[in-house]
Amino acid sequence: MNCQRCHKNHATYHLTAIEKGVKREAHLCEECARQAGVGLQFNFSVGDLLAPPPEEKAPKAGSVRCPQCGLTYSEFKSKGRLGCAHDYEVFRGELLRLLERVHGATAHVGKTPRTADAHVRLENELLRLKRDLESMVKSENFEKAAEIRDRIRSLEAELNR
Amino acid sequence: MSVEDLLGRAGEWLKGTGPEGDVVVSSRVRLARNLNRFPFLTLASPAVRTEIERHVGPRLAEGKWPRPLDYWPLEKLSPLDRAFLVERHLISREHAQAEGDRGVAFSADEAVSIMVNEEDHLRLQVLRSGFQLDEAFEEIDRLDTTLEESLNFAFSPRFGYLTACPTNVGTGMRISVLLHLPAVVLAKQVDKVLQSLQRLNYVVRGLYGEGTSPLGDFYQVSNQVTLGKSERDLVGEMKRVVPEILKFERQWRRKLLEVERRRLEDRVWRAWGILRNARRMTSEEAIELLSALRLGVDLELIRGISVRTIHEMFLFIQPAHLQKLERRVLEAEERDAVRADFVRRRLEGL
Repeated sequence: MNCQRCHKNHATYHLTAIEKGVKREAHLCEECARQAGVGLQFNFSVGDLLAPPPEEKAPKAGSVRCPQCGLTYSEFKSKGRLGCAHDYEVFRGELLRLLERVHGATAHVGKTPRTADAHVRLENELLRLKRDLESMVKSENFEKAAEIRDRIRSLEAELNR
Repeated sequence: MSVEDLLGRAGEWLKGTGPEGDVVVSSRVRLARNLNRFPFLTLASPAVRTEIERHVGPRLAEGKWPRPLDYWPLEKLSPLDRAFLVERHLISREHAQAEGDRGVAFSADEAVSIMVNEEDHLRLQVLRSGFQLDEAFEEIDRLDTTLEESLNFAFSPRFGYLTACPTNVGTGMRISVLLHLPAVVLAKQVDKVLQSLQRLNYVVRGLYGEGTSPLGDFYQVSNQVTLGKSERDLVGEMKRVVPEILKFERQWRRKLLEVERRRLEDRVWRAWGILRNARRMTSEEAIELLSALRLGVDLELIRGISVRTIHEMFLFIQPAHLQKLERRVLEAEERDAVRADFVRRRLEGL
């Protein structure tokens, strides 16, 4: 996953915050996380974290960009093709209406890959390990951190087959 | 395997031996799949395309498949050889004309083909002679399951297999049945068939896929819906719809034989006469005449020639095939001459 702020680097910080009872997530790269002051301040808002770096212009309303591939929905409409698998979540609302029109349905009921469950499990474990790694580094437990890092690498390799 | 090897034969699916072969030429099932960790091809850089091809190509070529697959990188082929693969239905026209690293893996009998880096990272296809949807589906399903052991496909529990175009999402499965409907066309009943198919959410196209006109009374019927129904539902629905069209075509064939036998015979024997004697022939004309001949063989108005021979002629009269047979580039006018010669020689002595 790419950083939701600069859209360039790989996101290594995965944060969850509850704001006014609504759960929000932020995925940032190391650099943006540092700029946004993650780890230094305790009261942060996800909105602040995801504000684009100062030198970049804020995106126009209604032109939501996929954080992974950078596609907007209006670009999809003119091309007719999506940019990556993640777009199905980013443009979920618009796509649900489109799918209803094209297929008369919006939910898959067919084949599920045998690896699908395992895959979801692996991704969850990966997230958990990355959080562990962060806290191990913070508490300067480098031996344990190295162990976790190796485990992350092998998990990532498995996920990226 | 080389283009020259393929030149000596036709794919298994063109044998004309499958069930309901008088009307159903072939059954085809295709699956669209994408790899989880790469962007879709619309946004993939040349480097990413290369990486996908390197990731997938060798796996396809080296995998232990019931039918071994040969992998051909298309960038290494000439435009003529790529057109040749299109004419054999091993790759799409878009795949032939695209740019960047891409390829196709296929079995020697041409029953299985897998395009790499087409609209989706992988497009699997299984082709069978006649009406054999269950067999085609079972084979492609096994192929897909085996591929899943070593590749992570983009999949969401809500939307199913994720595809570059949302019209393919879910099962990613398109079933196509190629039908020969000369009697329905002669009786001017074809609009009725097309309209009822459209009402059932089926797409009808000509012989060479999207955007082509129906030449030679060949119609390709495919499901439009890929989401909200299981693969078996989709197969089951097509298995209920096609026999209705079959029945309709056969009824009209019988009826025309009864009331207009002379007209039918005239049509078939004229086709025979021209095919055996012409000195120049466009593809369109050849397709129309071979279509009439095929009807004559099915109705036993003409004997001593097999559907297989006719199907092979359909294949070899195409521009790239003629040029490969002649081992040189031919202009349209030269092709018309070579085509007429090829057909005449093929029918000589029959």
